[in-house]
Amino acid sequence: MRHRINHTVPPMWPLKFLRFFIKDRYLEEIEGDMEERFQDNLQRFSVRKARRLYVWDTLKLIRPELLKRITKSNQLSHLDMIRQNFKIAWRGLLKQKVFSFIKIGGFAIGIAACMLIGLFIWDELNYDKHYAKGDLIYRLVISYDEPGNTLRGVTLPAPVKDGLDNGFPEIEQSGRMILFKWFDTGDNQFRRADQVQNAFENGFVYADPEMLEILEIPMVYGEQSRALSEPNSMVISKRKADQYFPNQDPIGQTVILNDNESHPFTIGGVMEDFPAHSHLQHDFLITLSEKEFWPGSQTSWTGSNIYDVYVKLLPGADPRHLEKKLLSIRDNHIVVGLEKEGDQFAESVKKYWTLELQPVEEIYLDSDIRDFLTHGDIKVVWLFGSIAMFILILAMVNFINLSTAKSANRAKEVGLRKVVGSYRQGLVVQFMIESWVYSLISFGMGMLLAWLLLPSFNLLADKSLNFPWSEWWLFPISFGLAGVIGTLAGIYPAFYLSGFKPLEVLKGRLSMGSKSTALRSTMVVFQFTATIVLIICTLITYQQMDFILNKKIGYNKDQVVLLQGASTIGEHRAAFKNELMRMPEVVNVTQTDYMPISETRRDGTQVWKEGRAKIDIGIGCQFWQVDENYIETMGMELISGRGFSHDMASDSAAVIINQTLSKRLGFEDPIGERINVGRGTFMVVGVVGDFHFESMKGVIEPLAFVLSDYPGSMIAVRIETKDFKQSLASISDVWQEFMPRQPIRYTFLDYSYARMYADVERTGRVFAIFAILAIVVACLGLFALSAFMVEQRSKEISIRKVLGANFAIIIGLLTRDFLRLVLIALVIAVPAGWYLMDDWLADYAYSIDISWVVFVVAGAIAIAIALLTISSESIKAAMTNPSNKLRSE
Amino acid sequence: MKKNKLGEFQELILMAVIVLQENAYGSEIQRDLEKRLNERLSVGAIQTALKRMEGKGFLTSEWGEASQIRGGKRKRIYSATPYAHQVLREMKDIRAQLWEAMPKLGISNV
Repeated sequence: MRHRINHTVPPMWPLKFLRFFIKDRYLEEIEGDMEERFQDNLQRFSVRKARRLYVWDTLKLIRPELLKRITKSNQLSHLDMIRQNFKIAWRGLLKQKVFSFIKIGGFAIGIAACMLIGLFIWDELNYDKHYAKGDLIYRLVISYDEPGNTLRGVTLPAPVKDGLDNGFPEIEQSGRMILFKWFDTGDNQFRRADQVQNAFENGFVYADPEMLEILEIPMVYGEQSRALSEPNSMVISKRKADQYFPNQDPIGQTVILNDNESHPFTIGGVMEDFPAHSHLQHDFLITLSEKEFWPGSQTSWTGSNIYDVYVKLLPGADPRHLEKKLLSIRDNHIVVGLEKEGDQFAESVKKYWTLELQPVEEIYLDSDIRDFLTHGDIKVVWLFGSIAMFILILAMVNFINLSTAKSANRAKEVGLRKVVGSYRQGLVVQFMIESWVYSLISFGMGMLLAWLLLPSFNLLADKSLNFPWSEWWLFPISFGLAGVIGTLAGIYPAFYLSGFKPLEVLKGRLSMGSKSTALRSTMVVFQFTATIVLIICTLITYQQMDFILNKKIGYNKDQVVLLQGASTIGEHRAAFKNELMRMPEVVNVTQTDYMPISETRRDGTQVWKEGRAKIDIGIGCQFWQVDENYIETMGMELISGRGFSHDMASDSAAVIINQTLSKRLGFEDPIGERINVGRGTFMVVGVVGDFHFESMKGVIEPLAFVLSDYPGSMIAVRIETKDFKQSLASISDVWQEFMPRQPIRYTFLDYSYARMYADVERTGRVFAIFAILAIVVACLGLFALSAFMVEQRSKEISIRKVLGANFAIIIGLLTRDFLRLVLIALVIAVPAGWYLMDDWLADYAYSIDISWVVFVVAGAIAIAIALLTISSESIKAAMTNPSNKLRSE
Repeated sequence: MKKNKLGEFQELILMAVIVLQENAYGSEIQRDLEKRLNERLSVGAIQTALKRMEGKGFLTSEWGEASQIRGGKRKRIYSATPYAHQVLREMKDIRAQLWEAMPKLGISNV
């Protein structure tokens, strides 16, 4: 057509844009004007400027008069329609108060549960993120991978640090810590050197001077690089400094542990308290600088594996590559050391033992390693998370169910709207907006509910979470989630409801909401399956807890008082014991560091039959130093032989072993046999019945008692009395007499025992609470559904009554369908619950057998709840006078 | 009078439409006014004013011929209605009366 040379054309994209938004009937004129204008501008300006002006003019065309309407109808603007939809949603909400309440209430509960759990998970995942160079800080993890015997641990021998510092240029710094009960770690009696009154403190650990720099611990007083470099120095936390040295710089001050004045410590610095989200939570770091626990303790590769090792890498170092290089430590030192001692274990170490570098931020959630730190449990995170999702899904199912169930009431509305010209699209938008309105209200309520429940949740989960009101992301994210959830829950009802054919609906041919009965039934089954599974889980965890608390554990944990911090009693121990024994209610007294409850001292060692040390692989065994009253006081059972006696001088080389060790050593008649331990040879004088000294998650390990005069940190007093208070008061008096400068601290053995299983109890409570939540949500749904059913069938019921049906028949009629669904749910839930809990119980070496009674009880509870829920509406229906309902016909 | 208020800019355009007669289409009006006012106007401003006045009954319009310079698009030729003429005259009268009523220049207290 018009082929003109040098015809410069305006840029294309504004034109397209223009065509898109300008009203069709104005388009030709305006396009022409724009073109003409462009050509004018070309005469006066450069091409570039003309183009720029063209774009600018295009933008200035965005004016209401010239724009297309977005809706198909030109009469109403889009905005009006949306406003209208909101109004309808609100009216619908008010018109059906009970229904709306159930919809919103169920939703809000689900959302509150999700929020709480979300906060919990967020908190769990946020440990150790505060380091500036967190990606360079690693902990060394030992992985022992023998088939059938895999172990992970963190404790390494002392010279590892020197090994790391020499020969690995990618390591900037390395440092060690001792975290478990070892000499001065754990709890101690603590006082300033210039004061006499002792106070009980815990949170003592040993640390290399480098640890302050590696873990980037900020200092209040002193310098990171120097605070721990002097021997016998310690760094204390700010809160402890404020307590003991208020308003002063305590550097250079002297403190005394456990009244041991011959071995004072100097304060080398004050550190900020560890942040709440740090895997370490200690208040006193005692230096390892020049520390010798015994001669040679720092140079032996085969002595004590007690050091946790941390490293900070140089930027750019490849940790995977370094892990491979670290094997040289195994081959050149550890294996060599073992071989030198003729230990048969060397071969296995060479084959299966490797070192891994664990990023510092992964330490907290790695609860598989026994490292004497407080851990979160990734399993719990998953468990909580899936339960939260479950409850949310239940709530959404309710929403979908109730929306489609009410469809009959909306059907005529939809029909009429379509007749007067509504498009399906418009109806979908209307129903989606309704869904969003409900979702938003529910979200608001859910948020409030979560906030109100947070303190109780903190108790339940053993956390101190805060509701993040002040965080900028709270409202945008909640708003967004409300939208997403509203969409998910609303999309099916929206398409279902908007799909009605006007002719059929208005003729009344649509059978009332029956089309989606199958779907609704499926959802009820789903809800009840979830509920029953949760009930089963609750029952079984409580049974297991009961089993643990009441199982015969090999000793008698009742009526034992544990006096803490008793090592300060020193040489007065015998007199103190005698004084206590004089009290009529005291049965026995023993002093020790070792208790059959977790978090007390442990000493692992290798044991061989005498003379087999260089031939067999040693048996890992606990080696406990106790006094002659220990077995009796703890109520343990001597299977054969005798207990220790101070009268027999030879008992310093005597040992009492447990049945497991006896079995592992292959003794037929253990009494009189002799065993080799690293530190010497011992003769077996007795066998004690196996008792649980660790969590029931593990089997009972080999254990041996030796006699010792070492003053342990605990004194266990077995009493037999009805008047516990009086006995405690008397014990307290005796303590005061001997230890006037140290207040008495005690706990009870059975209480400490129960605390070992706090996690089981917590799991049980979590299941219980979520089961209740699930039941509430499911019942809300079921109640609304049954109410709806009754409403739909009210005429049928009335006619049946007129024709002679009695109360029982009507009730049966109305409940039968729902009960069938619950029974189906039961059939699905039983294997699911069994599978889940079987898996959970597999963690325990000692556990209950799952009995069928649990399933019967769970089923009965579910059916009873379902019946109760349905019955109120059903009974109401069965009691109404039929003439009321039929009068209108 | 109330209902038929003309904005100042609209009034200018209306008068330009009358002046340009059969040549009164968007770009021509714009060129004419830009020359007279000595300032840049946008297509959007002109078009909005034209459409508004058409809506109020001051203007009618019909398609004119297409031209190459317009990329083959037709012009839309505007013409003022008798009503527009009447309103313009009324406004002129009102202005004239107001000018009359104003105190003479120089005597006015500034």
